[in-house]
Amino acid sequence: MLTALALILFAVELQIPSPVPIPGVKLGLANIITVYAVYRYRWYEVAAIVLVRLVLGALFSGILTALLYSLMGSALCLVGMLVLRRVIDERHLWMASVFGALLHNTGQMAVALLLLRTPSLLLYFPFLLVSGCIAGAFTGLCAQLILPRIEKAIKRGG
Amino acid sequence: MKYKLLAAIIAVIFLIGCGLSAYALLAPPQKTIEVLSDGEVIYTADLSVAPDTRFTVSYADHTNTVEIVSGAIRVSEADCPNQICVGMGWLSSAGLPIVCAPNRLVIRYAGASDVDAVAG
Repeated sequence: MLTALALILFAVELQIPSPVPIPGVKLGLANIITVYAVYRYRWYEVAAIVLVRLVLGALFSGILTALLYSLMGSALCLVGMLVLRRVIDERHLWMASVFGALLHNTGQMAVALLLLRTPSLLLYFPFLLVSGCIAGAFTGLCAQLILPRIEKAIKRGG
Repeated sequence: MKYKLLAAIIAVIFLIGCGLSAYALLAPPQKTIEVLSDGEVIYTADLSVAPDTRFTVSYADHTNTVEIVSGAIRVSEADCPNQICVGMGWLSSAGLPIVCAPNRLVIRYAGASDVDAVAG
């Protein structure tokens, strides 16, 4: 169910051309779901949601080779956020999300440096840090706002 | 308290990112360029003398069209949905190579092969 939601968000975002033509810079709407899941489910459940989303997302977009970047980014992000979950409470969810986004960008960067063998790519990293802060804060806030509403809806539905 | 510290860390990372971004944008262009596919140099040219040309680079069923017009180089076409490399326009900063990450394509100034050279 959550995977389906995340995929829809991913597909919607895919249709919007990136306003900033820098590889790796992205809002990451689908990560609203990830952030929510991190705070509500067990680690292996979250990992499964994200993994299925990534693989299906790559198939949807038709860029299978992009999968390596997102896999590495997401892996680092997930590990980081699962640790942060113990440190940062729900009311400060957006902060955990920012750190998650930054870790995601770091993971992508590492893969890019490895595959493309161009050290000057590192000069993109500052751009990714800036965009990671903004995108992470945005998706985090979304998740934070959605969290109580979903909870209420679930309770009402029985 | 804890959250003030975390917010401060985020703010510092954000500002460092902004500062370094500006620095990267200001790195001056050079003359020779290299085109890399999957980490290998497949094409080099001196832009000050290079004639106008156009060629395609393929990787894993996907292609990018690279174009040199009056001493400037860019990716003019890509068969992917997001078109990031096309949107990056003409290569202009030694700090920021044109990259198509999924197709493992990089267009960069030859002198920019190591970060120290860019910094100097």
